[in-house]
Amino acid sequence: MRRRLLLLGTVVVAVLAVVAVLATGLGRDPAATASPLVGRAAPDFTLGGINGPAVTLSKLRGQVVVMNFWASWCTECHEEQDALDQTWQRYRDSGLVLLGVDFEDTSDGAKDYMHQSGLTYPVVEDKDSKTALAYGIRGIPETFLIDRSGRIVDRIIGRVDADRLAGAVEPLLKGGTE
Amino acid sequence: MRGRWSAAGLVVVLAAIAAAATLGLVAVRGHQQPASRSQQVQQIASGLHCPICKDLSVADSPAPLAQQMRQQIDEQLAAGRTPDEIRAGFVAAYGDSVLMSPPRHGIGSTAYYLPLIVVLGGALVVVLLLRRWRRPSGVDAAEPNGRAPLTSAQRQALRRAVERLREEEA
Amino acid sequence: MAFLGTYGLMLGLVLSVGGAVTAAVGARTDRPALVQTARRIAFAVLATMVVVDGAMLAALLSNDFTLRYVADNSSRETPVFFKVLSLWAADDGSLLFWNLILAGYVAAVAIRFRRYRPPTFPYALSVLFGVQAFYLLLVNGPARPFGTLAQAAADGRGPAPLLQNHPLMAVHPPFLYLGFIGFTVPFAFGVAALLAGTGSDAWVSIIRRWTLLVWCFLTVGLVLGALWSYSVLGWGGYWAWDPVENVALLPWLVATAFLHSIMLQERRGMARLWNIALVIGAFALTTFGTFLTRGSVLSSVHAFAQSAVGPAYLTFLGLVLLGGFGLVAWRLPMLRTPARLESTVSREAAIVGNNMLLLAATAIILLGTVLPLVVEALTGDQITVGGPYFQSALAPVFLLVLVLAGTAPLLPWRAVNRERAVRRLRLPVLAAALVIVGTSLAGLRDLYAVAGFGAATLVLVGNGQEIASGLAVGRRHSGVLRTLARGRRRYAGLTVHIGLALLAIGITASSNLAEQTQVTLRTGESTVFADHTLRYAGLETDQQAQRVVLTARVDVSGSGPLTPRMNLYPAASEPIGSPSIHRGVLRDLYASVISLQDDGNSATFRFYRNPGITWLWIGGVVMALGGAAAAWPARRRRAEEATVAAERRRQFSGAGVV
Repeated sequence: MRRRLLLLGTVVVAVLAVVAVLATGLGRDPAATASPLVGRAAPDFTLGGINGPAVTLSKLRGQVVVMNFWASWCTECHEEQDALDQTWQRYRDSGLVLLGVDFEDTSDGAKDYMHQSGLTYPVVEDKDSKTALAYGIRGIPETFLIDRSGRIVDRIIGRVDADRLAGAVEPLLKGGTE
Repeated sequence: MRGRWSAAGLVVVLAAIAAAATLGLVAVRGHQQPASRSQQVQQIASGLHCPICKDLSVADSPAPLAQQMRQQIDEQLAAGRTPDEIRAGFVAAYGDSVLMSPPRHGIGSTAYYLPLIVVLGGALVVVLLLRRWRRPSGVDAAEPNGRAPLTSAQRQALRRAVERLREEEA
Repeated sequence: MAFLGTYGLMLGLVLSVGGAVTAAVGARTDRPALVQTARRIAFAVLATMVVVDGAMLAALLSNDFTLRYVADNSSRETPVFFKVLSLWAADDGSLLFWNLILAGYVAAVAIRFRRYRPPTFPYALSVLFGVQAFYLLLVNGPARPFGTLAQAAADGRGPAPLLQNHPLMAVHPPFLYLGFIGFTVPFAFGVAALLAGTGSDAWVSIIRRWTLLVWCFLTVGLVLGALWSYSVLGWGGYWAWDPVENVALLPWLVATAFLHSIMLQERRGMARLWNIALVIGAFALTTFGTFLTRGSVLSSVHAFAQSAVGPAYLTFLGLVLLGGFGLVAWRLPMLRTPARLESTVSREAAIVGNNMLLLAATAIILLGTVLPLVVEALTGDQITVGGPYFQSALAPVFLLVLVLAGTAPLLPWRAVNRERAVRRLRLPVLAAALVIVGTSLAGLRDLYAVAGFGAATLVLVGNGQEIASGLAVGRRHSGVLRTLARGRRRYAGLTVHIGLALLAIGITASSNLAEQTQVTLRTGESTVFADHTLRYAGLETDQQAQRVVLTARVDVSGSGPLTPRMNLYPAASEPIGSPSIHRGVLRDLYASVISLQDDGNSATFRFYRNPGITWLWIGGVVMALGGAAAAWPARRRRAEEATVAAERRRQFSGAGVV
């Protein structure tokens, strides 16, 4: 009798352990991956501009940079267009640079879209996707927040809204170079 | 009788030895090192997980990003970087999950010991089990159902069943 | 429609719970009338499910966009064929289909045992109703397929493009479901045997046949899945070690182990405990698989959209594990059997080895699939366990399985007459050695390729020899057909092994000897690959109702053209590619168009030369047919005879009579 109880007890404990481990997987977005770049220096690049001159990231040091990877064929990117533009207009004089990086797109397609949507912030194009690879892009849109000292502070996957951006950007603007 | 091998037995043993020896030779000599750079690119790419696909390697994936990655691997090889350095570069941007297999450090490395433990453990269990079963335990004397001796009709039915069994096994 | 569906599902749930209780009470109090009522309830549940699924089908076919599911998964332009398939295209609808199949199995059990009623039958019925109740609870609770929209949509989104690209979508999920869901039946009878407390082995022959049938379905489902991956996804391969693919393989491996170890129980009365544990384990693995696939726990090609069903599946899995293995632990004394082994070189030992290897493979795949989850839970790190890992970990295990499949059927039960065994092994071992030496001399450098071909040869020649010699002897005595009929189980088993060998040849050849190339061609330009000249002839556009099809024609020297396609669906941001395959007995020529430039004047192709793939499909079919032949129902009398004979054999196994 005791042996049976012991065996039963073992089964119960084992099952509970298995269920507990599997339960940790619930409630977690399987597509969300942590970026190893957060907290490290943002990889430098020089990319040709679509609506302006070429941009080199290191030259922007001292300002807060919001980098947004997008493409004209990406519907979710269209949805965050207004939020990005708003943020640009609101903070450009406080030392914020909002930089769009066009990814896996054609120059014409990008230009058409930019013309249609009337976006005003600078956009560069990543023709060979080297910058995207350096930033660990898994899909678009992805937005990176870089502080005044050139360090990546956060990476947002998917659509951003204006409030979230504002909340993230303001402490960086106040921060100054570390 | 024990030590003598018939002709058939000799054939089996020799064939088995030949097979084993050949396999050993092949294992030892192994793969030739990838000659061309495109083969090297293929090898490195097949160990990287395409970031925007679900399960495909960078070598297999038709996605444009995977193509760009292969191109980057090619360029970096041309520039003289080693495969390990190239992989480390991708890990720096994407994290350990860009590797198709777990890294050899950290808790993920248990993945490499697990199959060995499982197979060796299983083999141990099998050996112990077979040993225990082979020991004549006298348990068979204590059959739980005590039956009356067979009638002749039952014996006949049994004989027929036995014949059928023998036929099946022939 | 929504009304009919929603209330039908509620009715089904009530009936299932009622059926479970009725059957359980009827079992405990030994009242056949109650059991009869429970049987009738099974038919009622099936009828309800038919009506409910019919309602959903009607809604899909009539473009009833008041239903959220129809709006999400169908559209006006979707062809009728794919509208029907939308039933199982997404989570909620496929649960409806799941419930229908499960109800079908329960009704089949009720019909099968209308006259011959083993003592385990009412308990099994109760368990079956219990499982059905869970799945009905899901569609009444977290996953509601008949939810309505506040305002009917003008048109639907259409099925996911990948799911309407190929007619294989018609057969792959149904067979997979038939296999997966079918494991409920052996599980129910296994648990019933534990609950009923009978020490007899009557349940074994019942479970064996059902498990065999379910195994056949699952084999077909897995092969179709590989075929789908190969013919539709366009990456040139057929198995990506996706978590969802892996979990579908797990119950198959356990079922295969069971189908072998059951011989130990039937012939020698051994391994009772083990067999029940295997049956419970197989069902638990299907539940685990369902949890992983639909609980949005891991990212996968198959992953359904995130929904609230995860915790429900996990709870159910916990109950199944607790109930099943708890019962085993409780009934341990009843299940222990005295086992004796005369010789280490015998079929019994080989079967034990087979079980160990298959269970080891199951453990490796299970642990590898779950490891990313565990690592992230413990340390927060994210890792990938992908194809290369599984391939290198499993190759030696599967090789050994093949070696056993080639030698075990030649070994006798109990004790081996060494001379006889050696004589039987002579030809297969010789053939295998010749292949190993030959292929390595011919230049094959990969260890697993050489070993794989050698092992497959061992299996082919060994099993083929057994069939041939059995028929040769039987032909003289009673004719070929009668010999086959009498030894049906054995010959079917040998056939399955041969199918396995063909499958192994296909896998070995395609894994080690495949070639591929990527090339960009302008219209009219050609390249040389796999002993053919491939010329890009141009792009053709075809506007269809639900998509635009761009065909990039490639003229192939010495045969017809390859026509890889890009399909543009309005709902998808990127085109879905369809590969074009020239299948051949020795090799497949496979083409995929990756991208188009310059308005189609230039195209980037991937060409593959895949040797031996056709043998994969042939091997799979042979395995399924062999399994079906073994499962074919014998006359009722013979089944009962067999049970009695098994009892007698077991009884006399130690007495030296045989």
